[in-house]
Amino acid sequence: MLNVEKLSKTFKTEGGEVHAVRDVTFHAADGEVVAIIGASGSGKSTLLSLLGLLDAPDAGSIEMNGTQLANLDSGGRTKYRAREVGFVFQAFNLIPNLSAKENIKLALEFSNWPKNDRDARADAMLAMVGLDANKASRRPNKLSGGEQQRVAIARAFAAQPQLILADEPTGSLDKATGQKIVQLLREAANTQKTTVLVVTHDEKIANQADRRLEIEDGALTEIA
Amino acid sequence: MNALRRGVRNAFRNAMRSVGVVVILAVAIALSISMLIARDAVNAKISSVRSSTGNTISVSPAGFFGGQGGGTALTTAQITGLLSIPNVTAVQAQLSERLTSTQTNLTSPTTAGSLGARFGGGFGGGGTPTTSALSIRVIGTNSPGNSLVGGANGGGTEKLTSGVAFSPTSTADVAIVGTTLATKNNLKVGSTFTAWGKTITVVGLYDAGSTFADSDALMPLATVQTLAAATNQVTGATVVVNNLNNVSGAATAITKKLGTAADVTSTQATVESQLAPLNTVKTISTYTLFGAVIGAALILLLSMLMIVRERRREIGVLKALGATNRSVVSQFIAESTTFTVLGAAVGFIGGILVSSPITSALVSAESGSSSSPGGFVRGAGGGFGGGGSGFTPPSGAVTAGRFRFGGLSNTFSQLHTSVSWSTLIFALVAAIVIAALGSSVASATITRIRPAEVLRSE
Repeated sequence: MLNVEKLSKTFKTEGGEVHAVRDVTFHAADGEVVAIIGASGSGKSTLLSLLGLLDAPDAGSIEMNGTQLANLDSGGRTKYRAREVGFVFQAFNLIPNLSAKENIKLALEFSNWPKNDRDARADAMLAMVGLDANKASRRPNKLSGGEQQRVAIARAFAAQPQLILADEPTGSLDKATGQKIVQLLREAANTQKTTVLVVTHDEKIANQADRRLEIEDGALTEIA
Repeated sequence: MNALRRGVRNAFRNAMRSVGVVVILAVAIALSISMLIARDAVNAKISSVRSSTGNTISVSPAGFFGGQGGGTALTTAQITGLLSIPNVTAVQAQLSERLTSTQTNLTSPTTAGSLGARFGGGFGGGGTPTTSALSIRVIGTNSPGNSLVGGANGGGTEKLTSGVAFSPTSTADVAIVGTTLATKNNLKVGSTFTAWGKTITVVGLYDAGSTFADSDALMPLATVQTLAAATNQVTGATVVVNNLNNVSGAATAITKKLGTAADVTSTQATVESQLAPLNTVKTISTYTLFGAVIGAALILLLSMLMIVRERRREIGVLKALGATNRSVVSQFIAESTTFTVLGAAVGFIGGILVSSPITSALVSAESGSSSSPGGFVRGAGGGFGGGGSGFTPPSGAVTAGRFRFGGLSNTFSQLHTSVSWSTLIFALVAAIVIAALGSSVASATITRIRPAEVLRSE
């Protein structure tokens, strides 16, 4: 269960202060897929950064299954990211000189997944996202965009995190592939009982989520 | 796959760049290795020269030199007393005498000539007529072994061409004769001649490379002292000091011990000036050595910085996935260490291969650019005394410069380069320093990269 209370983040720029996230409060249940929609510059990515502990908030709290996260130190945030959060990026962000399987094993290594089980876990994740075994040894540049995003999803879910943060996961894909990717996220969330937050500006993608939230000028509102 | 293995693998990610970095590192490391080897070789040569060349002091009676001038002969006791001076390892005593035509059946191979007439033919030699023969110079010495490698006979380098040398304490009526004198008098090993009424047996022949030096005869000191009625008299000595650095102190002690009775001279300054090119090479190689190591570290530093900037997003991704700063930094250090190890391996072999020609080139260049000290360097038994009709530099006076120090210059180009354990250890330490310095800035940059940048750059 994710509980976010009065989360705020302000950036100082030459033009003055920018309130990227203002008093954001929301909740998300385990296995729930929540879409956050908003225009460019509305604060979507900043909110994702705060929830993924990539950045520290100025105020507010983030609670995941009873654990307060906002005040964790650097080491604590790193450990949290490794074990409890999975990221899916618009540009996939796979490590280019590692194979698909090695990219997945990277997440397992950082989360301290038992060494002897990493191979089997990576194979299982590749199977979960529907990639053939012969794609496992391929490097990202030998995979299609859709296949790369499937590997990214497999990597995100590999360490059985409590929260998946997907930032425009279909932004670099064609519509059909994008639909499949969202479907895959939904299935993985249901299977692993993982909370999935999908940031998108695509209404059709957002409509597939359990709930929709809209962010505008850093403020979050629930769409009925 | 852990961070170290990823780092090693990343080193080969861009083959072209990896080869470039390794080659540049190899060149820098080869240069530093060759400079280290050159420095060691030059150091060894300087030490060798300091302990074996120019470490002699000439002692002669005050006002007397090479059969010229006046004064009173020194005594055997005075000369042997010099052995008690610190750092003095040997004292070669000489008694220089002349055999006139009434004292020997030998004929001098040299006529007085115009120089003999002008300077009186030296000690007992020459004379008024320019065609008359000079007297024969006989040198009594207590160190024929050393005499035969330079010193006793006018500073020349006498090489025994046949026969044997007599013992230092010999009292026998024997002689080692210069080749010019031997040829003039048809002397061979086993031949005899008369001197001071005694029959002297030739036990050896020597060649010193000059007419002056090859016109003499070397005999045991005690024999000459007895035959020439010069008991306990010494007309010169060569004092051997253990190291060039101690020559000045020993010369001062000798002067203090003998007082005004003796003239004391050394060739330390000459040898020091001859060693100057080697010292310059040593300085150049030291600076180049450290310059090359720092250069290699800078090359690696800039390369790693470029790589980190290029992989900024990837570093952000790794951190977003939960990689610690230590893990990411370890990965990049492993990568830079891989470059360094490869560069060091290639550079070490290259450095060994080029060290000898580089050392020779450095020494040759420096020896060529340095001016050799000219002038006369007086040997204990040298000086004017020869004859001849034209002007030829007196061989005894210049042989020190021409033979001994000329020989020293020649040995500069024969420096022995070798790879010691210290060279290997240096290569290892240099590689560690290069890798550490080279990855330091990159590591600092990595720790400053925030994972949030991955999302912002989307």
